[in-house]
Amino acid sequence: MAELLSQPFSWLNLIIMVSAGVVVLGVVLVFVMYAIYFERKVIGWMQLRNGPNRVGPWGLFQTVADVLKLMIKEDIVPAKADRFLFLIAPIIAYTPAFAIIAVIPFSENVFFADVNVGILYYGALSSISITGILLGGWASNNKYAIMGGMRSVAQMVSYEVPLIMSFLGVVLLTGSLNMKDIVAAQQDGMWFIIPQFLGFVIFLIAGNAELNRTPFDLPEAENELVAGYFVEYSGFRFAFFMLSEYVYIFALSSVMTVMFLGGWDAPFGLTFIPGGVWFALKFLLLVFYLFWARATFPRVKTQQLMGFAWKVLIPLALFNVMITALFKTISQAG
Amino acid sequence: MWGTGFFKGLGFILKQLKEKKITSQYPDEPVIMPDRFRGIQHFIPEKCIVCNQCAKICPTGCITLTGKPNPDPEKKGKVIDTYDINFELCILCDLCTEVCPTDAIVMTNNFELATYTRDNTLKDRIWLDKNNINVREENH
Repeated sequence: MAELLSQPFSWLNLIIMVSAGVVVLGVVLVFVMYAIYFERKVIGWMQLRNGPNRVGPWGLFQTVADVLKLMIKEDIVPAKADRFLFLIAPIIAYTPAFAIIAVIPFSENVFFADVNVGILYYGALSSISITGILLGGWASNNKYAIMGGMRSVAQMVSYEVPLIMSFLGVVLLTGSLNMKDIVAAQQDGMWFIIPQFLGFVIFLIAGNAELNRTPFDLPEAENELVAGYFVEYSGFRFAFFMLSEYVYIFALSSVMTVMFLGGWDAPFGLTFIPGGVWFALKFLLLVFYLFWARATFPRVKTQQLMGFAWKVLIPLALFNVMITALFKTISQAG
Repeated sequence: MWGTGFFKGLGFILKQLKEKKITSQYPDEPVIMPDRFRGIQHFIPEKCIVCNQCAKICPTGCITLTGKPNPDPEKKGKVIDTYDINFELCILCDLCTEVCPTDAIVMTNNFELATYTRDNTLKDRIWLDKNNINVREENH
């Protein structure tokens, strides 16, 4: 992959790049389908149910059938909606979600763009999705949708701050914003979950809030806002919003694996297992945690949510940055 | 200490993974109903004396029946000719079985009545006669 990026432009290279993009899209789509299946199954087991078990063996084709249903459904645009914004909002929400995957290294050789400011790119692009969500809520011309959209923006802007700040500890330790360098630093030393445990916890909580998932699912809040910002959407456009949500799970868990769990680094010297497998294992552990938290915690209230971000997480994240800087300065001086 | 509840909750939920499922696999495994469950009626034409009480008492008027003179000229009275229950209307109130003097109509425990057309919900004498499994033991 790396040598491909540095070669001069040719049509063959373009075809290879485009097909690589298509392959990633396929991987992401399959991940999303089976993440939803896995989520329903795991939450079902946790609630002493069986989960989907009708379509195909063990219900494996349930989500495939759901996606197919969404594809062939009518694409309804409400009469009083802002038609143009309504139509492009899902695209605005999904494109950054997919673009984020470009900078995530999955193993030593499998990565798509070796960007020097990979983490910054992640933080910047994940904020753009909020625009799509707000536009979708506003253009629907529906009270529930606009309330969901407003809540979503307030929440995501607030939690973006501690999320980015929790990066800073890792960046200070590594001296680089490049995700490959961060993994290389962890391969030499220890995984950053140990020195940056506070940062990891802040990332986990703020990331959960960024994903708009339970216990931070106020924007969707099924039982009070129906479905939040995408209440008026149907068919394919609804699928796009759902897709961007689950692609963010993919992206966030991958970034967390890279930054705190050592990426493809094998623990205990078990290097005979390929790095990609280790990456997938750590990644699935984090995805499982998200589902586990969803099955456990009740939804927080709005004032608790905002207070928690500004009064607890941001001071803690700042404290983490200060302590990390202090230790780094002392260790370099000594 | 503040915050321990999170871990307690997470631990409790994780333990539920290995617990036995409390859901019943209904279409795969039949549901056993209690003895006094009111399912669709079983009708015994030989016992019927065409007294018409069931049709009269029925609050929704779903029972229609006709009798004919007894084919045996030695005997008096009538025998049943047609006996239809319109199951679109029946509310399974049990009054027809309570009022029947000869227990010609009794309740069963059968409740699997879903069909694709409304025509199938009209149960005639032959169907009700054949519906003779899971007949309720205690009728009054």
